[in-house]
Amino acid sequence: MVSALTCQDLTKTYGRGALADRALGGVSLAFAHGESCMLLGPSGSGKTTLLSVLGCLLSPSSGVVEIAGRRVDYGSPRSLTRLRRSTLGFVFQHAQLLQFLTVQENLGIVAQNAGMQAKATSARLEQLLGQLGLSEYAHRKPGDLSGGQRQRVAIARALLHRPSIILADEPTAALDWENGQAAMRLLVDQAKADDALLIAVTHDTRLTPLFDRVILLESGKVSAA
Amino acid sequence: MPVDKFCRMLSIAIKMLLHNKTRSISTIVGITFAFFLSSAQVGLMVGWCNTCTAIIRHANVDVWVMADHTPAFDYGTPIPRQRLYQVRSVPGVAWAESMFMGWMFWRRPDGRVTNIELVGVDDGLVGAPWKMADQAVNVIFDPDSVIIDTLYQGQLGVERLGEEVEIGDRRAVVHGFSKDVRTLTAAPFVFTSVDAGVKYDLRYRADEITYVLARCESGVTPEQLRDAISAELHSGQVLTSTEFVWKTIRYWMLETGLGITVITTAVLGLVIGTVIIGQTLYSITNDHLPNYATLLAIGFGRGQLVCIVLIQAIVLGVIGIVIGSTILGRVSALSQTTPIPIETRPDVLGGIVIVLLGSCVVASLLSVRSIFRIDPVSVFRN
Repeated sequence: MVSALTCQDLTKTYGRGALADRALGGVSLAFAHGESCMLLGPSGSGKTTLLSVLGCLLSPSSGVVEIAGRRVDYGSPRSLTRLRRSTLGFVFQHAQLLQFLTVQENLGIVAQNAGMQAKATSARLEQLLGQLGLSEYAHRKPGDLSGGQRQRVAIARALLHRPSIILADEPTAALDWENGQAAMRLLVDQAKADDALLIAVTHDTRLTPLFDRVILLESGKVSAA
Repeated sequence: MPVDKFCRMLSIAIKMLLHNKTRSISTIVGITFAFFLSSAQVGLMVGWCNTCTAIIRHANVDVWVMADHTPAFDYGTPIPRQRLYQVRSVPGVAWAESMFMGWMFWRRPDGRVTNIELVGVDDGLVGAPWKMADQAVNVIFDPDSVIIDTLYQGQLGVERLGEEVEIGDRRAVVHGFSKDVRTLTAAPFVFTSVDAGVKYDLRYRADEITYVLARCESGVTPEQLRDAISAELHSGQVLTSTEFVWKTIRYWMLETGLGITVITTAVLGLVIGTVIIGQTLYSITNDHLPNYATLLAIGFGRGQLVCIVLIQAIVLGVIGIVIGSTILGRVSALSQTTPIPIETRPDVLGGIVIVLLGSCVVASLLSVRSIFRIDPVSVFRN
């Protein structure tokens, strides 16, 4: 069976010459569909860089990334945008919702941009908002929500268009333990329900039991997977 | 771009603008100011061009004969009346008459003196006021008769018909009021007969006039008639009506510097407007850079983001122009009863709208540069 995502000898170096900083030093990993992976590592170990490269937001210095068996062409901004639009879903540390749109609109633009039909969008929206306990907040703006509610909206946004890969960067860092755990559980369960690969960066080792696999990154290299 | 995609961009762009109401309103105020200032200045200039050439255009003749070096209609100097007969003898001339024009002193009934431009017309009433208040324009041929415009009654100290004044040192009686016959100079036009005009102006001899006006026979063009009359006369200037209109406009607008001042103000209005638009659009875009980075990360292309910025520029531009043109319409309507009307011609306004919307788009390019500098990875760092 084809892996959901693989990377081979991935390197990323920032800067040049004496100022060069090697953030990734030859990372090779393979992920299956429906798998949930926790990416652990100290600050500066290359977690965010790896997530950015896998999320088609940053080009690697060398190495190959394949999504569903197809090599990612980092030289083509158009194809990277297309991948981010339809295949990838993101959850950011601070939710990064658009403050000028309501919850429903924040989710709606992702679906519309991914080319989902209006009927399918509204059914999916209703389903997700219900599952995440956000139905009554659909017409509120992010500024009127609590941190936990905002993060749940961000999770809904990442899941709405049924991406095959979900990348989450410290999604619980801005939340207290209870809310953080609830949000992460939601994310893992929803990803599983959609058979999507979830890679989540977190510092919180208490969340380890929620994941199928833990990957430890140190100095830009995988030390345990 | 498909319509639904465009509508999506439009919706995001407008909601983004509504989120930043203060900045959006200040941009609209800037555009309104730029549009109003530019349009009013250009409208004033068009109004002045119309005013300074009104008598030439309303005379509706084909060719004007005048003294050499006459710079504009208002500065005609004496030529022999014989020129009229010479012109009439030129093949291709269907009709020709004379006209007098001179600067005179007007002594009001209360004794105060002011300058006027006295225009004397011939039997055909060509060059006479084209719009009268009540009376027929041929009262101009009554003894000592003059016609003044209602716009300048106050300046000329005349309240009603029949009031006596003095032009030079000679008696004149106001026998008629014209309407909307404006002057570009501070001296109002006063109309009389050509014979009376020559008598009032002591610098003219009895056998002198200022202009000969001629019309072509059918089949003869004004240019052909101009050349034929020029060949017949050995001195003086012969111009088609269109040439005389442009010569007069050129004199007032360029040689006196009047037009340059107005154009400079109009251009300054556009430049200031463009700077305001550029600065505020740049600020609006910069305020939303984290949002743009998020949009990039979740699958929007840079082209779509550029589209949002351009839509914002055009939306703000259109709102500013609509408000500006509403104010301009009101001011223009009010100005129609004053000696300095603001002319709002659709072609002139259309030109300014295009220039200003173009300025909005150019100003937004500054913001577009920020879009291209966004690092989508920044969504992970914020």
